[in-house]
Amino acid sequence: MKKIFFFILSISLFILIFSQEKPILTFLGEDTPDSIVKNFTIDASDIPNDGGGGIELKWDSPEILKDWFISIIRIDEDGKRVLLTTDIPILSKQVRDVNSEEEPDRVIDSKGYNYWGILSKKFITEELLQILLDTFDFKEGLYSFNDDTFFVLSKTQMVYSKASWFNFLRLAVLISLIIISLTFLYYLNLAKKGKDLYIRKINGLDAVEEAVGRSTEMGKPIMYILGIGYVTDIPTIAGLTILGRVAKKVAEYETKILVPSYDPVVMTTAQEVVKEAFTEAGRPDLYNKNDIMYITQDQFGYAAGVDGMMMREKPGAIFLQGLFFAESLILAETGHSIGAIQISGTTETAQLPFFVAACDYTLIGEEMMAASVYLQKEPMMLGSIAAEDFLKVIIMSILVLGFLLSFLGSGLKIEFFKNLFDILYQALQV
Amino acid sequence: MALSSNFWIWIAAILTLAIYSFLYKDNPFYKFAEYLLVGISIGYGISVYWHNTIITKVFNPLVYDKNFLVLIPLLLGLLMFSRFFKNVAYLSRIPIAFVVGAGTGLSVPSSFEFLFKQVYATMPTKLDIGIIIIVIGVISTLIYFFFSLEHKGFVGRVSRVGITFIMVAFGAAFGYTIMARVSLFIGRIQFLLSDWLGIIK
Amino acid sequence: MLKGKGIPVFITFIVGTIMIFSFFIPHKPFGDLEKISLNWYSIIAGFTMLLGVDSLIGMHYRKITRRTGNWGYSIVLIAGFTGTVVIGIIETIRLGTAFNEASYFTYIYNYFIVPLQSTMFSLLAFFIASAAYRAFRARNFDATLLLITAIIVMLGRVPLGEQISPNLPKFTEWIMQVPQMAAKRGIGLGISLGALGVSIRILLGIERSYLS
Repeated sequence: MKKIFFFILSISLFILIFSQEKPILTFLGEDTPDSIVKNFTIDASDIPNDGGGGIELKWDSPEILKDWFISIIRIDEDGKRVLLTTDIPILSKQVRDVNSEEEPDRVIDSKGYNYWGILSKKFITEELLQILLDTFDFKEGLYSFNDDTFFVLSKTQMVYSKASWFNFLRLAVLISLIIISLTFLYYLNLAKKGKDLYIRKINGLDAVEEAVGRSTEMGKPIMYILGIGYVTDIPTIAGLTILGRVAKKVAEYETKILVPSYDPVVMTTAQEVVKEAFTEAGRPDLYNKNDIMYITQDQFGYAAGVDGMMMREKPGAIFLQGLFFAESLILAETGHSIGAIQISGTTETAQLPFFVAACDYTLIGEEMMAASVYLQKEPMMLGSIAAEDFLKVIIMSILVLGFLLSFLGSGLKIEFFKNLFDILYQALQV
Repeated sequence: MALSSNFWIWIAAILTLAIYSFLYKDNPFYKFAEYLLVGISIGYGISVYWHNTIITKVFNPLVYDKNFLVLIPLLLGLLMFSRFFKNVAYLSRIPIAFVVGAGTGLSVPSSFEFLFKQVYATMPTKLDIGIIIIVIGVISTLIYFFFSLEHKGFVGRVSRVGITFIMVAFGAAFGYTIMARVSLFIGRIQFLLSDWLGIIK
Repeated sequence: MLKGKGIPVFITFIVGTIMIFSFFIPHKPFGDLEKISLNWYSIIAGFTMLLGVDSLIGMHYRKITRRTGNWGYSIVLIAGFTGTVVIGIIETIRLGTAFNEASYFTYIYNYFIVPLQSTMFSLLAFFIASAAYRAFRARNFDATLLLITAIIVMLGRVPLGEQISPNLPKFTEWIMQVPQMAAKRGIGLGISLGALGVSIRILLGIERSYLS
């Protein structure tokens, strides 16, 4: 008897303790104040022009709710709940449900989603959040939780995210792509027909022959550094095309070219390029695969290795052509210290000043991209350079036009020109 | 603070000094540090590749996700090994062609975007002396890059203005970087004086 | 037929064109192509890395066996390489991953690679000074202009500049925002046009020196 009594006592104590610990979530009724309900709805819509991984939520922010917070829970058509956001100010008016590919709970193309908004005056607690995400039976209305009240409101329409087949934001780019392609084709065709195309002198490229020749006279090798880019980088590809022309000269002078590489794919490609150049020059026997070697895929490890190689091999001419970052000056200064003729070129504007200061000749940006054409001077290649120049004229015309319209519109306050300027300005925005 | 008793700090400090010895001239200490850095970094690189590429990008997708698409780059990667055999070495051109194609293809639209952004940013939305200088600078710099006209006469003079703008820009970038580079050096000196020698706190 | 350049040039053209069009098509599979191709590149590069290691280690191995050049240091290089790989393997077996904080592999990174890298990087403090000195001696208009701008901008960014003249930081800001910006845009426009030129020459097979 005593035992039973004791048992019942402990059970009831147990219940009492836990019932007190357990937070109380109470439904206070559907009748939420009109002032709030009428003023608040969430509008969900697919984000256009994307791959189908995004939904945008928008809401108005009435004055009465300016101090309130909103938390949003997404429920998909299978009933799975995901927390989108907690406690953002109502004033922010919108939120985007977009996630990276790695996120397993991201919005997926053509699946249906509902969103529920939870309005509260205070931040909602972890505990409440768990309940909302696990067991809560979603229904519009007023609730209280541990004496704090909150509203569950505004279930959105079922919304589907759609992947687009065309990104209309990039229409201007597509149109100009077509125009530019046609320009290139026109000039290539012109070159094919045998029209004489001119290319101006590029400082530094006339020195290639001299650099290779002098190096040969001194019995020193040539060093060609492609920087730390990959084969997917255009400057690296441009560097490889210049390498082809330089290597041909090297083979003609029967000397040696060293190409220390940062990326193994670049190394392999460089081997192909040099081998081809030597074969073209009629000296495939001089080609040595081991002269185009891998150093390491570590920026400063590469710099250390190439510096060491410069000190020991003492090349008479050094070419730095490709993508360079902070290591540019380490290489160029060491090259200068051993007295080599240095011809550099890169598209990295941040590194160009150092090349200009430390090298004999520097190919600046586009000059470097055009260098292989300059060294080869094939009609078709010259055609592509002429096309680039034509596009420069177009760009300059747009700038001048913009300036004139702005002068007439904003300066002389002529409305018509101001509107024209705005149209032009809008068209350029991508 | 006193001289460090940490074995690893000593290694780091000695290697730091070995690299600095290069400023005097090429010497055995620098050579040691240089070869060590190249050796270790490639060993590290191979390990990272094994972990990030072979395991994460090939093995896991293939075995767990049954994503057989990775067989394509796997095959392309293996084709690279054809270079070890003279009679099939030409097969390595296929992965190179693929990679170069992807690289150039991706660069075309991004070049366009860049082009648009630059022109957009240069549009004179308001009129002041700065914007006039910018428009002149951009146009004269572009003229400098003009290849199909000889740079003499009017074109020559404008491109001269362009190269002046370019030199000012290079000088500005140069000056902007100096202090950042000096602070790198200060960082290393701090490591030597405080972590290693314990002279300063 | 495979031996010629025809097939590789065709592959380059097709892959490149698909990549260009994928820029305008967000829908699967085009929308993901950029990511996929970068992923594939790293896989191909991963395999090619073995060619690189073969090239590097082979060269130093030959130096050691033939006792040529700095062959003693080649031993250091090969030891460094082998040691790192072996420790990586041992630590992977011991700790599950070599990239654990307690692993000796991480120690190698923190106490060998990091100090060596950052010291190499910091050499720039000296090299930038010697490059500036050279520009100072060059005595031609461009070099002088470069150097003067460099000095103004450098002073404008340190407290000393403010003491010389409160206008110096403002002037520096103006140089960065106006003439610097103008030239940077001009160079940038040239680069993107040049990149388009290179891309088109490659895609159309006009430039094919990268394929022997």
